[in-house]
Amino acid sequence: MKKILALFTTLALAASSFAVEIGKPAPDFTGTDINGKTVKLSDYKGKIVVIESYNSDCPFCHNHYATGAMQELQRDLAAKGVVWLLVDSVNTKNFSYRTPEQARKESADLKIAANAWIDDHSGEIGHLYDMKTTPHCFVIAADGTLVYDGAIDDRPSPSGDPRTAKNYVRAAVDELLAGKPVTVSETKPYGCGVHYAN
Amino acid sequence: MRRIVVFISICLGLAALTARATHTHVQLLLSADTAKPGDTIWAGLDMKMDAGWHTYWKNPGDSGIATTIKWDLPPGVTAGEIQWPLPEKLPPAEVTTYGYENEVMLLVPLTLATNLPPGPLVLKADVAWLECQEQCVPGKTNVEATLNVGGETKNSADEEANELWKQKVPITRDVKYQAWWESTTNGDSRPLIIGGPSQEADKNLKYDSIDFFPGASDLFEIESKTEVIDLHSATLALRKIVKRFSGDWPKEISGVLVCQLGNSSIGYELKLPVSDQPPTDAITAVASATPAPSTQPSPSFWQMLLYAFIGGLILNLMPCVLPVIALKILGFVSEANSEPRRVRKLGLIYALGVLVSFLTLAAVVVGVKAAGHHAGWGMQFGSPVFIVCLTTLVTLVALNLFGVFEVTLGGRALDTAGELASKHGAAGAFFNGVLATILATPCTAPFLGAALGFAFAQSAPVIVLIFLTVGLGLASPYVVLSWNPAWLKFLPKPGAWMEKFKIAMGFPMLATVVWLFNVAASSYGKNVLWLGIFLVVVALAAWIFGEFFQRGRKHKTVAAIITLILLSGGYVFALEKQLDWRAPFVETGSTDSLKESADGIDWQRWSPEAVATARAAGKPVLVDFTADWCLTCQVNKKTSIEIPSVREKLKAMNAVTLLGDYTHFPDAITTELNRYSRAGVPLILVYPKNPDAQPIVLPEVLTPGMVLNALDQASN
Repeated sequence: MKKILALFTTLALAASSFAVEIGKPAPDFTGTDINGKTVKLSDYKGKIVVIESYNSDCPFCHNHYATGAMQELQRDLAAKGVVWLLVDSVNTKNFSYRTPEQARKESADLKIAANAWIDDHSGEIGHLYDMKTTPHCFVIAADGTLVYDGAIDDRPSPSGDPRTAKNYVRAAVDELLAGKPVTVSETKPYGCGVHYAN
Repeated sequence: MRRIVVFISICLGLAALTARATHTHVQLLLSADTAKPGDTIWAGLDMKMDAGWHTYWKNPGDSGIATTIKWDLPPGVTAGEIQWPLPEKLPPAEVTTYGYENEVMLLVPLTLATNLPPGPLVLKADVAWLECQEQCVPGKTNVEATLNVGGETKNSADEEANELWKQKVPITRDVKYQAWWESTTNGDSRPLIIGGPSQEADKNLKYDSIDFFPGASDLFEIESKTEVIDLHSATLALRKIVKRFSGDWPKEISGVLVCQLGNSSIGYELKLPVSDQPPTDAITAVASATPAPSTQPSPSFWQMLLYAFIGGLILNLMPCVLPVIALKILGFVSEANSEPRRVRKLGLIYALGVLVSFLTLAAVVVGVKAAGHHAGWGMQFGSPVFIVCLTTLVTLVALNLFGVFEVTLGGRALDTAGELASKHGAAGAFFNGVLATILATPCTAPFLGAALGFAFAQSAPVIVLIFLTVGLGLASPYVVLSWNPAWLKFLPKPGAWMEKFKIAMGFPMLATVVWLFNVAASSYGKNVLWLGIFLVVVALAAWIFGEFFQRGRKHKTVAAIITLILLSGGYVFALEKQLDWRAPFVETGSTDSLKESADGIDWQRWSPEAVATARAAGKPVLVDFTADWCLTCQVNKKTSIEIPSVREKLKAMNAVTLLGDYTHFPDAITTELNRYSRAGVPLILVYPKNPDAQPIVLPEVLTPGMVLNALDQASN
C-alpha cells in the first residue's frame, strides 16, 4: 500500500513539474483563431509573446477594455514588435461563449489590437498554461522562455483606470527589450475564474 | 459616428453590469441597540446571496475578490478586523475558491471610547464585493445603522443572529500541528506538509474529513488541492503545494484547519512556523507534546474485522449464550446420525438467524446514530420492560431444560415426521440463531469491544459489515459442524448422558435469571420482589402445562385453562398492579459516596466537572465506567480494583476515584465512551497528576498488575 502511494506521489509531483514554470521553455500549443486560421506558439519564435486569458464579460477584463487601457497596451507593445495572443477558454455552454462570428464583431467593436484571438473553448491551452482567471497574463521571451506568469497589474479592481496601476506585463516586456532580467516574474492572477468545460 | 456608438454601447454595458449587481442583499445588523461607552459591540454585515450566487472569503482562492468594508465612523468608535465565518471550498477543481453561498454575516467588533457622550451615533460603511454565478458581477453599496450611546449595553433583536454567526468563525485553539517542507525544489512550487495528532491521539478532534484553507498572501500561494497522507494512525498529515511568487520561501503560514463532521464543519485558526526539516520522528514529535495514551493502537480495518470474527466466536462461550448453544449441540448430535443434509441446512439457517439479527441490530444502530443519539452496545438492556420479558423467557427455558415442559424451540424432541419436522427444524434453527444474538449482546467481550468501538465511529456500511462479521463468528462453529458431519464423530454419541446434559444446562440458565433479576432490581428497587413472585407463578403454570396438558391424558382442557388463569392472573396482579412494570421507579438517589463496603474504595459520582476539579487540584483520578449488567465490569471490579493493594495505592496517591454508572445509559457517559472509541463499558481511565497529560486508557479485561502500573505512571 505504501509503495503504491509513494509511486503515485512521485508521478503526481513529476506531472506537476510539466506545468508552466518560470525560466523553463513555454509549452508550445496549436489553436484556431476566430478567423479560422491555425495559430502555433512556435510560429512566433524569435519574438516576445504576451498571452492573455480573455473573457469580456468578467468585470475585471471588461474594465481594462472599456477604459481603452488594454488596447493601448496592445498597440504600444505591437509597435515594439511584441506579439499579443488572446486565449478565450470559455466553454461553449457558458453564457460568455462567443461564436467566431460574435467574436469577430466584438474584436472589431472593442478595437482589440491583438495578433490573434484563439478560440480555446475546449480549454486545452488554458489547462496547459494552468490559466486560472481572466485576465491571467504570460510573457514569453524571444528565445521561448517563460519570464512572467500572473496578474496583468497590481490593481485588482472592476472599475477605475488601469493606467494608474503598475502593469507587470509592460514592465516585463520593457525589461526584456532592455536586456535586463525580469524583476517581477510571478504574481497571483486576479479576476473571474476561467469557465472551463466540465 | 461609429466611435460614438461604440462608446455609448460600452457605457450602457457598464451601466448594465452595475445595475445587475442585485444578487446580494447587504445590510448592517448591530448586536446592540444601546451601548455603554468603553464597551465593544459587534457589527454584523449580513449578506444574502440569491440561489447559485456566491461571494468570497478573505482569501478568495484561485479567482474572485474578498468582500471589503470601508468604515465611515463617528469619532470615538473604532472598528476591528473582520471576523470571517468558515467558508466553503467551491468547485471547480481547476479554479477552486473559498466563499459563501446563500448567506454569510461578516462580524466586525466596534469599540466605543470611554468618553463618548450619550446620544445616537450613525455608523456607515462602504461595502464592495464580487458576486459570481456563471458570470461575475461586482457589487457596491452603502450600509448604515444607528447605535445609541447610553448607560447600559442592551442587546438588539439581531444579537442572536450575530452570536450564531460568531460561532462559525474559526477559533484559535491549542491544536498541536506543525508545518515543514517535504522537499526542496529548484522551481517555484514546493510541497509542504502540515502534520499533527489525528483524532486517535487528540480526543478533542473529531472529523470525517479534514482540510486546510490557507490565508491570503502576496508573496506566495498555497494551492487549493489537499492530499491527506496517513503517516501513522495517531498522526495525520496534509500535503499542500506552495507556489512562490517572489522573495524567499515563507517561514510561517497561516490558515484554517477545517474538520468536517457530518453536515457541519469546525475551523481552527493555525499560525505555524515552517521548518526545513520534518520533526525527527513525525510520531514522537507529536507524541512528545501529548504523552501517548497507553491504549492498544487503533488497528486497521481488516484487523478490526478479524477481531470482530474472533469476538463472535468467543461469544459462543459466554455464560448467557452457552446453554442455548448447548441445546443446539444436542440437536446436531441427534440428527447427525439420521439426515446429514438436513443438518447442513439447519446449520445454515441458524447462521442466517444470527446474521439477520445482527443485521437488524446494525440497522438499529445506524438508525439511532442517524437520529443523533449516540448508540451504546447493550442498549436493549436499557428498557426495563425488555429485562422483565427476557427474565421470564430465560426462566421458561431453564424450566424446559429441566424437563418441566416441552417446547419445540431449542430442545426439540426427536421428531422423525418428515416435512413437518424439517419445517419446525428450520423455524427452530432460525430462532435459535436469533436467541443466541439477543443473549450475547450485554456480554461485550474484549475483542468485541474494540471492534464495536471502531464500528460505531464509522459510516453505516462499515457498521453493518462489522456486525455481520461478529454474527459470522458466532454462527461459524455450527455451520462448520453442519458441513463436516464427519467432525461430529468427535462429538459424543447420543445416549442417556444427553438428557443429563440437558438438565445440567438448565443451571447456567438459572444463573442468568438471577443475574437478570439483579439488573431488574436496579430499575424496580425493592419491588423487584413481585417479579420474583411472577416467575414462581410462571414456573407453576409451566409445570401444570407440562404435566397435565402435554404429558397428561385426561382433563387436558382444564389444565390448559388453569395455566392460562395462572399466567394472566400473575401478569395482572404481580406485574401490572404491584410492580407497575412498564413504569418502574428509577432510583434518583444522589448519595455522594458509592462505597461498596466498609473498607471499599470511596467512589464519587463521575461527571466531567468532577474530573476537571480533581485535575485542577493536581490529583490523579481513577475513573471506572461500569454497569450492573456488565459481567466483564463486575469481574474487573472483583479481581483488579476492589483489592487491598489497589485500595492502598489509591489512598497513598491521594487519588480521586470516580464511578460512572452506565446501567441506565446516561447520555453524558455515552458521549464520553464514544470519545475513546468504545461502544460500551467497561472503560477504565487513569488521569495522571500532571493536569496537561492525557489519560491512560486501560484495556477492557484487567489484571491487578495493569491497574497498579497505571497508577504508578500516573503519580509520576
